[in-house]
Amino acid sequence: MEGDLFTVALLSSGLRLATPIILAALGGAFCARAGVLNLALEGKMLLGAFVAIVATFYLGNTLAGIFVAVLLGGLLGYMFAFFYLKYEVNLIILALAINLLIGELTVYVMRVLFGNVGSWSDPSIQRLPDFEIPLLSSIPIVGDILSGYNFIVYFSWLACIVGYIVLFHSKFGRHIRAVGENKQAAETLGINVRRVQVSAMVIAGMLCALGGAFLSVGHLSLFTRNMSNGLGWVAVTANIFGFQHPLGVLLTGYFFGLAEAFAVRIQNVTDLPPNLIQLLPQFATLAALILVALREKANLALIRRRFRRQLARGEMQTPVAGD
Amino acid sequence: MANAVELRNITKYFPSSNVLANNDVTLSIAEGEVHALVGENGAGKTTLMNIFYGLHQPDSGEILVNGQPVEIHHPDDAIKLGIGMVHQHFKLVPSFTIAENIMLGIEPNQYGMLKKKEEAELVRQLANDFGLPVDPYARIRDLPVGMQQRVEILKALQREAKILILDEPTAVLTPQEVKELLAVVRNLAQRGRTIIFITHKLVEVKDVADRLSVMRGGKMIGTRSVAETSIPDMARMMVGRSVLLELDKKPATPGQVVFKADNITVTDASGLPAVRHISFSVREGEILGIAGVSGNGQTELVEAISGMRPVEGGTFTFVDKDITRRSVGERRKQGMAHIPEDRIKIGLNLETNLDENLVVNRYKLPEFNRLGFMILSAMKRFASFAVKQFSIAAAQPGEMIATLSGGTCRRWCWRVSCLASRSLSLPTSQRAVWMWAALSLCIGRWWMCGTGRRRCC
Repeated sequence: MEGDLFTVALLSSGLRLATPIILAALGGAFCARAGVLNLALEGKMLLGAFVAIVATFYLGNTLAGIFVAVLLGGLLGYMFAFFYLKYEVNLIILALAINLLIGELTVYVMRVLFGNVGSWSDPSIQRLPDFEIPLLSSIPIVGDILSGYNFIVYFSWLACIVGYIVLFHSKFGRHIRAVGENKQAAETLGINVRRVQVSAMVIAGMLCALGGAFLSVGHLSLFTRNMSNGLGWVAVTANIFGFQHPLGVLLTGYFFGLAEAFAVRIQNVTDLPPNLIQLLPQFATLAALILVALREKANLALIRRRFRRQLARGEMQTPVAGD
Repeated sequence: MANAVELRNITKYFPSSNVLANNDVTLSIAEGEVHALVGENGAGKTTLMNIFYGLHQPDSGEILVNGQPVEIHHPDDAIKLGIGMVHQHFKLVPSFTIAENIMLGIEPNQYGMLKKKEEAELVRQLANDFGLPVDPYARIRDLPVGMQQRVEILKALQREAKILILDEPTAVLTPQEVKELLAVVRNLAQRGRTIIFITHKLVEVKDVADRLSVMRGGKMIGTRSVAETSIPDMARMMVGRSVLLELDKKPATPGQVVFKADNITVTDASGLPAVRHISFSVREGEILGIAGVSGNGQTELVEAISGMRPVEGGTFTFVDKDITRRSVGERRKQGMAHIPEDRIKIGLNLETNLDENLVVNRYKLPEFNRLGFMILSAMKRFASFAVKQFSIAAAQPGEMIATLSGGTCRRWCWRVSCLASRSLSLPTSQRAVWMWAALSLCIGRWWMCGTGRRRCC
């Protein structure tokens, strides 16, 4: 119980905690732009976390473990697409099924392989190393905030920028957006709607898995039951709050990361009951969703008020039909 | 003259709706002509063209383009053969610009990255070549319908379409836009494009087409030269008998005012004004027509009158009572009915049977329910009474609405509203000739027997 509440360390731990949210939300943004509601971010993230640590254990190399996790995440994304496009399974039901299935499956496999139920770790597992960016790290404060993370953190920033360029400045991205906004328009012009949607879902699966891998071998070096712990759902919110825009998602992802860091920090420096404080990120999520909803309503109200004012002033010049 | 297109003995059956949409249809279209394809709603015109464009597969028959037999499985195949289609409902991406829509799928790019300047330049050039100027950077959602249609036409031309199918292109346009479109169509024909013009507006056929082919009930009735065929002859081919274009109706003897709209203002779904300060009144025994191109506030006005949409200002008076704030149910109870434009979506519940649809506006009456439970036998009796009374063919009490044909559905919707109504608001948009005649006849009869009585038609 010591120290200031607002410190540079708070900002940098916010960035760290934001990483899985940003990655998953970016995946969600790709899906949303392709017209697919992806609520399975949570399950895909959890799969990534589990596979990354198990593969690292067996392969003896953290990077190889992450690679396997990303591949399996892509495969899960493909399965999601397959059930949706081939059998037209309802997207919400499908997503809930995947989330529940992965949640139980990871516990089952953990028990079969290692005999543990709650959490598992092994001394041989190396956490992904942090590294400093030359030059940047030597700048005071800025260097402390922007430097000194592992490669997944840097990758999440880069992925958002690349995601923006792909979505808005590449042929592939334009096809994604066309499919999402008017499927028939794309179809009648000979764009393969299925292939575009499958690609978007595979990309989302890979990004989510990478976010999950960050949890198990990037941030810590252990796996616990239900490790993603709702972060996938926070990512769904971050995606909506960020208007399905890669750069928007970068900002909203950081906002939620900061909320989590703040909750951790506040527990260390104050005597407020920890159970209440742990709800802080969830409250931030709720507030964000309400803000998005209000924004649309406020727009409408504004237009209506302007119209009524004109009406009251009698500025509407319109012919009146006779009897 | 060589034939650009030949469709031979095309047959298409839709098992889901049990409709034989095309029955052994044969059609030849000469190169460089404007060929009108006419017929009533549901005659099979659109199905035939969707087959030609690769959106449906025929059950039998063959397609020849420039004398060569071809297989068209997908719009891609059609585009490669130089066939372009402007659908009745536009296939545009609203948030994209004109250039982005036209070049979708064939974007100029380098390593997958878009070249947006080049793209806009290409579109500008194409537009100027064909005398159809557009702003390549304007967004589709900000454009009027006529301009959106122009984008659709340019889209087909950019893909080097030699054969252009226009599916009811004038249905959504204002008279001015129609004039412009017809000029564009003639101009394209002069440049050697072959145009198939689907419509049921015979005046336009006379204006723009070289030949016309008439379809009725999924069959090809015949092909004629437009110059040698009069409009009444075309109508006869379409309907299969002489069309009663004039209604034999006694002069109106209106009574006192029953419905009054005073200074009514209504906003549309986005909060923008759709109806501004409209006043009118309807007298007993009178039919009042409200005309206008769709999207000019009629829908909002009708919804406001029927009580589905709140008004921003003004009052409605119905038989000396202010009903401005009354609910739909209360308005109906007072003897007002509404036959919606989209009868299938709003007018009927397709999931249930005839009986339930028929009592939907009177199920609260004591003869149809006891302590909140519906009396099925009374409903059935009422349904058989209605079926007999209105001689609706192919309808049995207890039958599911979804199994009825579109026309029958429409008539049912009518009956539901006609029984026990004092005033009606109804749209007659896009009805084919005979349907309009039949509807008028029906309103005419309803009107002639006076108002305020239960038994009308």
